Amino acid sequence: MENQKSLQLEKVTYDDKIVKAFVLAMLTFAGVAFLAGLLAALQLAYWPFNMNLEWITFGRLRPLHTNAAIFAFAGNAVFAGVYYSTQRLCKTRLFNDTLSWLHFWGWQAIILSAAITLPLGYSQGKEYAELEWPIDIAIAVIWVVFAVNFFGTLAKRKEKHIYVAIWFYIATILTVAMLHIVNSIEYPVSFMKSYPVWAGIQDALVQWWYGHNAVAFFLTTPFLGLMYYFIPKAVNRPVYSYRLSIVHFWALIFLYIWAGPHHLLNTAMPDWAQTLGMVFSVMLWAPSWGGMINGLLTLRGVWHLIRTEPIVKFLVTAVTFYGMSTFEGPLLSIKSVNNLGHYTDWIIGHVHGGALGWNGFMAFGMAYYLIPKLWRTELHSKSLANTHFWVALLGILLYYISMWASGITQGLMWRAIDVQGNLVYPDFVETVMKIVPLYWIRALGGLLFLIGFLIMIYNVIKTIQGAPANQYDTEVQVPVAVGHDTHPEKGHRKLEGLVTVFSVLSLIAVLVGSVIEIYPTLNLSKYVKEENAVEPYTPLELAGRDIYIAEGCYVCHSQMIRQLPGDVLRYGKASTIEESMYDHPFQWGSKRTGPDLARTGKKYPDLWHYRHMIDPRAVTPKSIMPNYPWLADKSTDFVGLRKKVAVMKALGVPYDDNTLAQADVMAEKQAKEIAEGLKAQGVTQDGLERKQVVALIAYLQSLGQKGKNKGVKDDKAVASSL
Amino acid sequence: MSQEQDLLIKGHEYDGIKEFDNPLPGWWLITFYATIIFAFIYVIHYEFGGGPTLSQELEVAMKEVQAAKPAASAAPQESEEELMKKAQDPKLLAIGAEVFTGKCASCHGNELQGLIGPNLTDKYWIHGKGKITDMLTVIKAGVADKGMPPWDGILKQDEMIAVSGFILSKKGSNPANPKAPQGEPVE
Ligand code: HEC
Ligand code: HEC
Repeated sequence: MENQKSLQLEKVTYDDKIVKAFVLAMLTFAGVAFLAGLLAALQLAYWPFNMNLEWITFGRLRPLHTNAAIFAFAGNAVFAGVYYSTQRLCKTRLFNDTLSWLHFWGWQAIILSAAITLPLGYSQGKEYAELEWPIDIAIAVIWVVFAVNFFGTLAKRKEKHIYVAIWFYIATILTVAMLHIVNSIEYPVSFMKSYPVWAGIQDALVQWWYGHNAVAFFLTTPFLGLMYYFIPKAVNRPVYSYRLSIVHFWALIFLYIWAGPHHLLNTAMPDWAQTLGMVFSVMLWAPSWGGMINGLLTLRGVWHLIRTEPIVKFLVTAVTFYGMSTFEGPLLSIKSVNNLGHYTDWIIGHVHGGALGWNGFMAFGMAYYLIPKLWRTELHSKSLANTHFWVALLGILLYYISMWASGITQGLMWRAIDVQGNLVYPDFVETVMKIVPLYWIRALGGLLFLIGFLIMIYNVIKTIQGAPANQYDTEVQVPVAVGHDTHPEKGHRKLEGLVTVFSVLSLIAVLVGSVIEIYPTLNLSKYVKEENAVEPYTPLELAGRDIYIAEGCYVCHSQMIRQLPGDVLRYGKASTIEESMYDHPFQWGSKRTGPDLARTGKKYPDLWHYRHMIDPRAVTPKSIMPNYPWLADKSTDFVGLRKKVAVMKALGVPYDDNTLAQADVMAEKQAKEIAEGLKAQGVTQDGLERKQVVALIAYLQSLGQKGKNKGVKDDKAVASSL
Repeated sequence: MSQEQDLLIKGHEYDGIKEFDNPLPGWWLITFYATIIFAFIYVIHYEFGGGPTLSQELEVAMKEVQAAKPAASAAPQESEEELMKKAQDPKLLAIGAEVFTGKCASCHGNELQGLIGPNLTDKYWIHGKGKITDMLTVIKAGVADKGMPPWDGILKQDEMIAVSGFILSKKGSNPANPKAPQGEPVE
């Protein structure tokens, strides 16, 4: 009876429209992401590209660029590929059309709200998690919609077993949900402002657990799934090794989740967490290469297709870049290498090898494969696709090589110490001037990548214009019921028939590392030493801190002096755990385009900062930092401070009752003192004490100055007493 | 081709995609095992075997840096007269001018007229009496709470002498827009 049923066929119509929609969205936002990236690159090469416009100043543009690249471009690419391949791998239409379209429009709405709020300065100050709490909730909801639609599709599949691509999709969906929710636990202050519940090393650990695994589970596992579908389809060859698929899949998802702390090496993060982050990153090398090997060796026997087929060119080059990045990643996780590369452009180069090479080329290859199929026509021009490939490849190489050179040059300059024990390049700007030419080359690389993309857009438009008017969805005949194997199944094969068990096991695989690393820091007080205790920020400093976050200063400035002689000589005593223990969110940063600010407090007079914020070149002639003239025009929100202080108190920051009740009054008083000091020095501006620049100065002057038991001796002396 | 057929796994076909039963590449497996062994050794050494912590490593490194610094007493402090003589040297003055423009003008003004920091051409001094030795002391150590940075370790001793000489050479130059006097008058 059963067997007969499995021989019966029924007609299934795949939902191609939703895939088309996601493909078009992906191409649209790719343009936005690339343009934003190019402008950001130009701003670093030549600061006037900031154009004195607060909305697109570097600190706000960079988050826009990264969010557009990750969530809008790569996200839409993943959804297109997942929906296309899952239907075919499961021989069934997507679970529910309403959910599909809710997913599509919901996601585009999220992107749009990001594109509006980030330039306006609404930011949580956590990389790739900048979006404020209402958008965070929307992301969680839409992700659940996606998950229900996806697992619903698996539930009604007409294929007994799930293929390796689906394994990767499952791991992606579950893990991203977990990462997003845990990292976004925040306490709203107002409609568009919140503070994360995590602070200091806790927040650092959670954020980089999230940040690193956004790379792992948003930009790697789903793309590996796409690779497992589109490469065998494009070259019409079997996958090289099923066993390798199994081993590298489980090893990859289990090991990846531990690697986050490699973003925090040599910092105040407890040593054990750094050690785990490093060794798990090293162990990730082989599992990552397992994916590359399986992708590349699938081409055995048909290598010649690389020469003739642009689709294959893109896919194979993508996998090659994946191999490069996943070798470089473990390398950069080794503490001594990280010591040189961290905070420099080397990391930026590394990321773009992955983003442009791996994600970009996978997405392009996939689009060239999908568009003619979906629109039932031929690609307008193969030779234009080839041109796209070569121009983009040249762009990536220029990008990668210039950033290697820049990162290593600057890293070496930062840590160079002469025979007398002094820094060879004590002037930070000197190390910046050295790499500005490389910033131009990088911008050229980005431009080429963009030009290649525009060629593609032209090709796609022409292709779609030439498509037949009669567009219809793919129809196939599939068995009415899932076929039954006659022989009993064992081991992994059995698991591939049990989606729920498979999903639970994947979730366990990613939970192990998460719990072991994050749990110990939930009790922060364990790590706090009384002799290092610090005071919370004054209300005005808190207001200034929020301006710092809104302007995205953290994208150029770190606040973490590493336990390295180069750092200590340049910036003072290594940062302690206690110094950021009230920081919701932490602001350690990941890139030093400008100098570290952890101990910048009291280094310069208020007037220096005032002039520097309005025009950095007034005090540092060769600076590449943007101007922030609007900070002297816009007013600080004093009234909102009571609420902010109350929320901080609720999160465990020890504000006393007086501060709670008088936050705004105290802030106004402190602002007045600073403003009067500035006026005495000749600043003539009406209502200065109400301006944002004053709050920001208060914050900057507090950095490294909040120690309770700190003697008056300055940090240099402390540093040399180490 | 028939060999290939043998490698295909029966029953594994999804949307036309088949799978081979190739073994895990040996070199790949060895790499994987090697990294795992490395991880164990590393963790055991640094977490349980008494390997140095980061702060211990830093301490050692900083001691080396300190040891490299020439002892303060090694070079005897030159007297005011010697320094005065040295500071007349036009070559040194040129270096001093360069240092000043690069590092000091942002706060003291291009013409030394005072801006964020005090006017350095008038007869008023906050620290000392405007002698080269006085200036050297301030320049070296800075004035932490008032925002004059310490230049020791950033400028070389000679550069500090040069810039002090340069400042002295501008004494009484009466630049435009001078900052109001700060400190005590020194006749
Ligand atoms: C494009 C990158 C960039 C951004 C964005 C940026 N800065 Fe800077 N910043 C620099 C560079 C480069 C320097 C070093 C040259 C200089 O002194 O201007 C610097 C220097 C500084 C210094 C002096 C530090 C020292 O010890 O000498 C402070 C303070 C500072 N920035 C604050 C800020 C604040 C506050 C923001 C946000 C409102 C900000 N910066 C945004 C690049 C940046
Ligand atoms: C960040 C701003 C800043 C920079 C840069 C700076 N200074 Fe100063 N300087 C000050 C301030 C502020 C004071 C006043 C200190 C006080 O009030 O005690 C000062 C005081 C001085 C004094 C003592 C003046 C007096 O009246 O006693 C000398 C000498 C001096 N600076 C020299 C230099 C030299 C030389 C350089 C460059 C190598 C330099 N300064 C760079 C801010 C600066």
